[in-house]
Amino acid sequence: MFFRLLMESFRRQRRRKLLAGLAILLGTTAVTAMLALATTIGDRIHQELAVYGANIVVYPAADQLEVKVGGVDVKPVSGGALLHESDLAKLRGIFWANNITGVSPELPIRVVGKTASGMSVDAAATGLWFDHFLGKADALKTGTAAMHPWWKIQGSWPKEEATTDTGSEAVAGTVLASHLHLTPGTVIQTNAGGNTASRSLRITGIVSAGDDTDNQLLLPLNAAQQIAGTPDAVRRVEVSARTKPEDTFARKDPDTLSPAQREIWYCRPYANSIAYQIREAIPGARAEQVRRVEQSEGTVLKRISGLMWLISAAALLAAGFAVSAAMATAILERQGEIGLMRSLGASKTTVALLFYTEAGLLAVFAGGLGYLAGSGLAGWLGARIFASEGPASAGSLLIPVLFPVVVTLALLVALAGSTPAIRRALTTDPSAILRAGA
Amino acid sequence: MENLVDQGTRPDCAVIALIGVTREYAGHGGVVRALDQASFSIVAGEWVAITGPSGSGKSTLVNLIGCLDRPTQGELVIDGVSTSSMSPAELDRFRADKIGFIFQQFHLIPYLSALENVMLAQYFHSMTDAKEARSSLERVGLGHRAEHLPSELSGGEQQRVCIARALINNPPILLADEPTGNLDAANQKIVADLLRGLHATGHTIVMVTHDPEMAALAQRRIALSHGKVFCHPVNGPVVSLER
Repeated sequence: MFFRLLMESFRRQRRRKLLAGLAILLGTTAVTAMLALATTIGDRIHQELAVYGANIVVYPAADQLEVKVGGVDVKPVSGGALLHESDLAKLRGIFWANNITGVSPELPIRVVGKTASGMSVDAAATGLWFDHFLGKADALKTGTAAMHPWWKIQGSWPKEEATTDTGSEAVAGTVLASHLHLTPGTVIQTNAGGNTASRSLRITGIVSAGDDTDNQLLLPLNAAQQIAGTPDAVRRVEVSARTKPEDTFARKDPDTLSPAQREIWYCRPYANSIAYQIREAIPGARAEQVRRVEQSEGTVLKRISGLMWLISAAALLAAGFAVSAAMATAILERQGEIGLMRSLGASKTTVALLFYTEAGLLAVFAGGLGYLAGSGLAGWLGARIFASEGPASAGSLLIPVLFPVVVTLALLVALAGSTPAIRRALTTDPSAILRAGA
Repeated sequence: MENLVDQGTRPDCAVIALIGVTREYAGHGGVVRALDQASFSIVAGEWVAITGPSGSGKSTLVNLIGCLDRPTQGELVIDGVSTSSMSPAELDRFRADKIGFIFQQFHLIPYLSALENVMLAQYFHSMTDAKEARSSLERVGLGHRAEHLPSELSGGEQQRVCIARALINNPPILLADEPTGNLDAANQKIVADLLRGLHATGHTIVMVTHDPEMAALAQRRIALSHGKVFCHPVNGPVVSLER
């Protein structure tokens, strides 16, 4: 009988139930979209802020002092401690390896030589990865081009595989290119010196970076290592990683924490803890977070997340009021039935259970649909707001763990919204219907 | 008019006993006394008509006997149990057990069949039993209309479904509120015959009515005026009354 009454109620009050369901659907759609965006916004903000550079820098531990003049590292390659390029593969083995989205090692050198037209060249140069696969299984495709998406290239980036014992490709910064009349196709013949032979550097492109890079030549790391005569050497590594915004706990020194606290600190993707793990993985390395980028990311994340929570709360509140209004009308229409049920001996609990079950069913159904619609909306909003490409923006953003959360919220909203109407109906004197018309 | 007290029925033998029952309501103009020191008893198997003009306290009396309300003062004993101190939940349970309601407006749920309307009373009392509900409908001559919706039944048939529903849980008291008020003469006769039959089989019937013909069917008339109770024998001295 209970289910008969329940089903008939849905069948007979389709419009009312549809209105209440629509309110829940809209509310949960907004909440799902906001929650889905809020839970993935870290990745998206990271992607957006990745254009401002790496957030962790790795140096040789024994080489604390950088010698830069006008932003150019003038310390001789042989004059300081170096990291091993081969060690960088170990980054793929750290606890937060999957959070590392970009790695760009650098080896600053000097290139001295002549162009084919006889123009003398004496320029700073940096050996870099341009399009490199780090690791073997599940390799990370990375390089300076991916980590500096704002750099503009006229021509093409040098190819690592084009590096031979006698030559390689390179790109020139715009200022340097202008000064030395370098254009794509120009070949620089470097001087032989020490234990290195003369090599040819074929310019494949002119790069505009908007910083000191414009005064340099950029060439594949393996070519720089050959010119400097320091195979496998790396002076500095930029690392881009998805991190959790820094908080007080993130700033703790892990060595002063209790084992349990240290474990927690270690297992949170703070830039500090990732840097700590990099230090553990690469012998003789010192890794530090680039605070400016990290703090911007944290601030933006906090503000956007706050805004999304606010929108979610507002959407739920609005849904609650709408459900309340729709249920009030639906229950008012059934006052006669309620009075009859009460006069037949139905307790207030029994009658309330009937209406709460109706509201609950409505919430589960509308909440489920809201979850699907919200996931779609999140995918669409993500693509619109972040204008990004890739899986995050392709279609809906289905996050299964959100389903029970959204349905629970829908249930709470529906039950809370129905309560005033149900309470009112149950406090109405059932004898009113006994004497109806008398 | 003098407030008369039924002296002939001892409250301890009664299925319904009101002992100095008063019901007051708080209104805008102060406290309204809807029922004033009512005392009377109804014995098991008795058929009593409650009459009186509008505002005389009939609804209040029906609500009290129907366990939909509790007295402000005095004691109401039904089937040997005082309802005055019952909690609302206990009163709900007691109502389902002891009272069968017959309404003027029938109050059938329009989307349930006649059978399901009868089963509804079973559901709120204990558990549904279609066979039993069907036999209750057969008892009022509607076995063949069990699957019909109320909209497919005449007024008299709807009232008979209402009576079948009132009987389904075998309550000791049938409380009929203007049971023929919405019926034509033919259906009024059918319902009156049904009530007569139920009375003959030992049912206690408390019937509120404006209709002198229906009131005449009862063994005793309890007249109300301005919240006060006056008892009259109608069809013979079932109870002795003193003025």
